[in-house]
Amino acid sequence: MKKVWMVLLAVLGLAGLALAQTTVRVGVLLPISTVAGKAALNGVQLGVDQVNAGGKVKIELVVVDDGNAPATAVPALTKLMTVDRVDIVIGGLASGVTFALSGPVKQYQPLFLCIGAASSVVEQAFSDYGRFFHYHPWDYHNVAAALEFFKYLYDQGARRVAILYEDGPFGSAGIQTYRQQLERQGYTVQAEPFKSGSGNFTAILTRFKGFRPDILYWIGYDVDALPIAAQTRQVGLEPKLIYGAPPAWPTGFEKNNLSNDVAGMTAWLPSVANNESRRFVNLYRRKFGEVTDEYMAPMGYVIALSLGKALEAAGSTDKDRIAAELAKVQMETPFGPLSFKPSDTGRTRFQGFNQNIWLQFQYLEGSRRPVFPASRAARPLRFPGNY
Amino acid sequence: MELLLQTIINGILAAGIYALVASGLALAVGVVGIVNFAHGEFTMIGAFIAYLLFVSTGLDPFLSLGLAALVLFMVGAITYLGLIRPVLAAPELNQMLLTFGLSVALQNIALLVFGADTRVVSTSYQGATLALGGLSFGVPPLLAFALSVVILGALYGFLDRTRLGLAVRAVAQNRLAPGLLGIETQRVYLLAFGLSAALAGVAGVMLSVMLYASPTVGFAYTLKAFAIIVMAGLGNLRGVVPAAITLAMAEALVSTYVPGGGGWVEAVFFLVIFVTLTWRSWRAA
Repeated sequence: MKKVWMVLLAVLGLAGLALAQTTVRVGVLLPISTVAGKAALNGVQLGVDQVNAGGKVKIELVVVDDGNAPATAVPALTKLMTVDRVDIVIGGLASGVTFALSGPVKQYQPLFLCIGAASSVVEQAFSDYGRFFHYHPWDYHNVAAALEFFKYLYDQGARRVAILYEDGPFGSAGIQTYRQQLERQGYTVQAEPFKSGSGNFTAILTRFKGFRPDILYWIGYDVDALPIAAQTRQVGLEPKLIYGAPPAWPTGFEKNNLSNDVAGMTAWLPSVANNESRRFVNLYRRKFGEVTDEYMAPMGYVIALSLGKALEAAGSTDKDRIAAELAKVQMETPFGPLSFKPSDTGRTRFQGFNQNIWLQFQYLEGSRRPVFPASRAARPLRFPGNY
Repeated sequence: MELLLQTIINGILAAGIYALVASGLALAVGVVGIVNFAHGEFTMIGAFIAYLLFVSTGLDPFLSLGLAALVLFMVGAITYLGLIRPVLAAPELNQMLLTFGLSVALQNIALLVFGADTRVVSTSYQGATLALGGLSFGVPPLLAFALSVVILGALYGFLDRTRLGLAVRAVAQNRLAPGLLGIETQRVYLLAFGLSAALAGVAGVMLSVMLYASPTVGFAYTLKAFAIIVMAGLGNLRGVVPAAITLAMAEALVSTYVPGGGGWVEAVFFLVIFVTLTWRSWRAA
């Protein structure tokens, strides 16, 4: 009889635990056919595994592809909200897509945890939406971090910057600000637009030869990386540094000799030396059998972990209670400490990271190595680089 | 003066690959009478063949030219037999919608299989340059140009000096008369469409070295190819090379001498189509 009571108690205990466990369905809206989107999804799944393993809360993911296009993303969000009936959405990687989502998000009112979307146009679009948590730095944070690097390069003797910028919203939106800021630092600047994906830069690069730039700074997309690196050599431009600012780098670029000494900016690399970063790398390797260079992976991981903390503290599936707890979250992450504050412009209420997470890297012999700021550098910057 | 010479060289080198893509399109339009919107996707398949061979075996992309041409010839032949032949007698709008649909389908299949990412190969000569005085010649565009000259030379030789080539030209000029003379027009169509795809595939291999492989790599070049065949006169194979040189030269000059010209380059081909069509209609009036 005693055994029966014990079994009964154990069953009731387990049932009670299951009832006490807060379970929430979360929509994930990412461009999963891209390297960055896949990495972000992996990071989210890894974070969710950690949260669920804790046993106090349970997150179930409903994953949909935003196709990296507004025309796909808006119906995908509508499906998440009306068919899957989620209250929380993790997504918003590309700025253009996220901007297009601003209307439907305000219509359906989910708790929106934004993983990317650096454009301040997006900041403006979500300025009157109180359930918007933006983890990624804004574009003015990116500019501040890049300018810090250029200040360092000026101290190293660089004086002339040739800027190649793609003529779409991504490349041309902040170009005047960039130009003014660089000139304020003492640089002489020559800037030229180009059509991303055209693959033909020889004419512009030939024209740059007369300017003899110390730094060739290009703002474009992954499709432009190899043609620029190759044609810079082909026309004999010989800058001291090629510095690129694409949202993602092409697959296999690190294995190409032309990538050697090319520099760029990222928020994270596996070689970043902090405990959370090392922990993330180990977990990621264990789950996926590889290490990723994509900073969107730890970004997704951080979002899932912070959501788990908020859920645990809220003890409820009510999105406003979860949002209130998320606003109070303070945690160490692979990028450094995370807490939410109003954005620098005051337009949005919950901004996670700022310019402090950015680091400058340089390709060398098949991998990206942090080179700036000095506090996070794994090796010194090769300046002048050998192009 | 040096800048002008360098600009002219840049234009001529770019013209090689333009001519290669446009010649394939001109074959499809001129001989088969099909405006093939999927031509850029055939180019994309060529680029991915080179990329996959490079990644799996380390084969230099230029060494995969033959295989890519063969595979694309077969892809073109199968496309012709399965999709194009049944609509040859259909209204032109239906034909165009069919090839447009094929283009979207192939691009989306590539997206599903390879994802949207840009993939690059790595060769020792991608950044190599030949210097002549103050002028520089990038090795990959020079190689692509030389190969284009050889391939187009062989194509014109085939069209001018072989019975089959003459049959292709005859069909391009008149669709009914060659049939009355015993030429099997269906076989000629099959050959022409296969060759068209093969040329696109070869161009794709070159693009994998000079640019990248991605589901959308062929799009920009197809647009330019349309401008070139419009300038040459639809179906006029002989006019393709001069038209390609004109377009590439115009782009190089705009890019070099117009302030902010890099952003205007892609508008050049629209201007070319607009001016050519307007001029032709004035001349005809």
